[in-house]
Amino acid sequence: MDKKNINHIIQLSKELRWQIGDDFHDHLTEGIYADAAQIVNDSVRLKNGKTTNRLDQKIDAIVTSKIWGFPIMFILLGLTLWLTIIGANYPSALLGHLLLDTVHPILKQGSEVIGLPFWLDGFLIDGVYLAVAWVVAVMLPPMAIFFPLFTLLEDFGYLPRVAFNLDHLFKKAGAHGKQALTMSMGFGCNAAGVVATRIIDSPRERLIAIITNNFSLCNGRWPTQILIATIFIGAVVPPLFSSLTALLAVIGIAVLGMFFMFASSWLLSKTVLKGEVSTFNLELPPYRPPRFWKTIYTSLIDRTLIVLWRAVVFAAPAGAVIWLISNIEINNLSIAFHLIQFFDDFGFLIGLNGVILLAYIVAIPANEIVIPTVLMLTVLVTGIDAGVGQGVLFELDSASATGAILREGGWTLLTAVNLMLFSLLHNPCSTTIYTIYKETNSVKWTTIATLYPILLGLAVTFLVAQFWRIF
Amino acid sequence: MEYNPLWALSIFLILIGVLWWFFQPNKGWFWQLKKQSRINEKIIIEDILKQLYHFETSSQKVDMKTLIQVLNYSNHKLLEALNVMGIKHLISNDLNAIKLTESGREYALRIVRVHRLYEKYLAEKTGFHKTEWHEMADSMEHHLSHEEADLLADQLGHPQFDPHGDPIPTRSGQIAEILGTELHLLPIGTVGHITHIEDEPEVIYKQILAENIHIGSLIRVIESNPTRVVFESEGEIFKLAPVVAANLTITLLSAEGDTQQDIARLSSLQKSEKGKIIGFSKEIRGENRRRLLDLGFVKGAMVDLDLVNPLGDPNAYAIKGTSIALRKEQADKILIEKIES
Repeated sequence: MDKKNINHIIQLSKELRWQIGDDFHDHLTEGIYADAAQIVNDSVRLKNGKTTNRLDQKIDAIVTSKIWGFPIMFILLGLTLWLTIIGANYPSALLGHLLLDTVHPILKQGSEVIGLPFWLDGFLIDGVYLAVAWVVAVMLPPMAIFFPLFTLLEDFGYLPRVAFNLDHLFKKAGAHGKQALTMSMGFGCNAAGVVATRIIDSPRERLIAIITNNFSLCNGRWPTQILIATIFIGAVVPPLFSSLTALLAVIGIAVLGMFFMFASSWLLSKTVLKGEVSTFNLELPPYRPPRFWKTIYTSLIDRTLIVLWRAVVFAAPAGAVIWLISNIEINNLSIAFHLIQFFDDFGFLIGLNGVILLAYIVAIPANEIVIPTVLMLTVLVTGIDAGVGQGVLFELDSASATGAILREGGWTLLTAVNLMLFSLLHNPCSTTIYTIYKETNSVKWTTIATLYPILLGLAVTFLVAQFWRIF
Repeated sequence: MEYNPLWALSIFLILIGVLWWFFQPNKGWFWQLKKQSRINEKIIIEDILKQLYHFETSSQKVDMKTLIQVLNYSNHKLLEALNVMGIKHLISNDLNAIKLTESGREYALRIVRVHRLYEKYLAEKTGFHKTEWHEMADSMEHHLSHEEADLLADQLGHPQFDPHGDPIPTRSGQIAEILGTELHLLPIGTVGHITHIEDEPEVIYKQILAENIHIGSLIRVIESNPTRVVFESEGEIFKLAPVVAANLTITLLSAEGDTQQDIARLSSLQKSEKGKIIGFSKEIRGENRRRLLDLGFVKGAMVDLDLVNPLGDPNAYAIKGTSIALRKEQADKILIEKIES
């Protein structure tokens, strides 16, 4: 074809486009969809005229009813968390006994036999091995219980109803109802919660869910909260009420986390995220009996092991760093000691101390090792004899013995309260940060998701500390 | 200095106050300064051109006074800009009226084209709220060249109207005509479509948005007098003050019998009723429109209310054998015909 003809065709198409008008595209797509629907109607026969299942409707009528909808939700969530926290204690103790109390001494003996130099033995066995073993012992059992339970509920078809019931609340914060699910998943593990946001297909709401997932207390933080609440908050009231008070304090922190989640969602949707496309749809699939074994298998492989592997990869260097900073000495004092002194003033300003701040920096890879690190550093600073070597992570069997060490380290009720707040409001662990980067593929959102909670945490602990001291 | 919690607290609060003062949305100093630093002669000239064009299309005469009233620049800057415009032959300066020259009109048309194209882009491809489109397009119109505007038009499928119903000029200056009358001038009983919603002034535009009135909707005037205008649309009754009604343009239906009386919004469907989908409002745009089609909300599909939410919103609708939850503002924009079952 010669050039003149082509130009003529282009000219003609422009004119025709003008004549067809603006609604042409919409009408065309809608027409195609309507035709497709017509073809389905003509060629697909349903066995019985009814398309919806009567049993489904009965279940839906109960789980989305005004009276029963919310109690059922809270009971199921509470039950899942209770099973996870209580149920994980036994296998955790068992794993701890095996990896920390049995294998660790054997390794130490082994290295002595083959004559490893002091520094290599400490670096590898007291540093790397111990941190990894700790993370596995604390992290694996709760995840192995929580994720299958959660996946069973998901498979049964109940979770979309939760999103349905709660969407109105989340909508007010500019978020999607399904964020209720990713938030609950975050109670197990934030990294898994971030991966779970894939169920939200609206870009803006998905980013909100990713950035605010850190406000769900994860498995690595529940034990810290429970331990500190038992030692310090429980001690404020008569012994009869102490365990109840401690429990209420931990629940209070979790609820505070939800409050921050809603407030931050609202703030994000009104500011940095307002330009992202926002859509909504929520399908309520029919109920079906969960495929028990398949669910157990996939949740263990897909969720538990992947997350555990990432945590191990990050925990190993952290263990090395912890051992190194407490064993390398400058002017006869360990690096850890210098760092703690450096952080002490700022720590005091926000009602914490240098030990806690340093522990949170070296324990970025895993929240699980915060308490062991705090104990180790406190012993290092105060010079108490806890029966272990310098830079070796440890934990004590009784809460009161732990409390004694912490009080020796200068802890007060304010320190405990602020530690609980800071444990809720600080940067996500490195596994989660890495996962956020993988999911969003954006340095910008990863940075915001990392810095926003820590800034919030510093502000909140600062304010609490000042008001505490004034009154 | 000795540590004192009161001091620490006050310093912190002052710091927060200063930061807020600097960075508070829109009014913050930082944003004001940023805005000020961007204003230069080019922007003033383009703003004047656009104003002149709008006055010309509504056949009003313009002099210095009206320009000063409409544009928010100092007299000195305006005069300077007009001077430059005269030298560049963008305007012919009569004694009593300022007029656009041919090249001036062309320039103005490009600004208008970019502004409306960009509003269309914001509506289709981003999540910014309707109330923000205008201001964002106002700053963007100064930054896009002819070529970039063409690229944008290409991506958007060469739209003829912006999301408010204003025509978008083509590069060659072709412009679709709005045939219509302002709502408050229509006699009782008139039936027509809303083809244009004016987005200025903002106060009135926000009022229209709050009323949940959608562009493209079919309406019938029920009452019209100097105190209020009442009309019926999609099964709902709307009452507006005449000032507000004047910002809605209605195109009358040419053919009789096209006046379907039983159109309703999906959100009004009750548990015992059945509906047949007629179509979507034009307000469902971009990604949202495609998702709804994907889920089976297509012309002719039967729909009924499946589950009522314990908190009132969203409700789940049974369509094509599945149950899909939609928020009220979505269900508001899906039009159905109620069918006796």
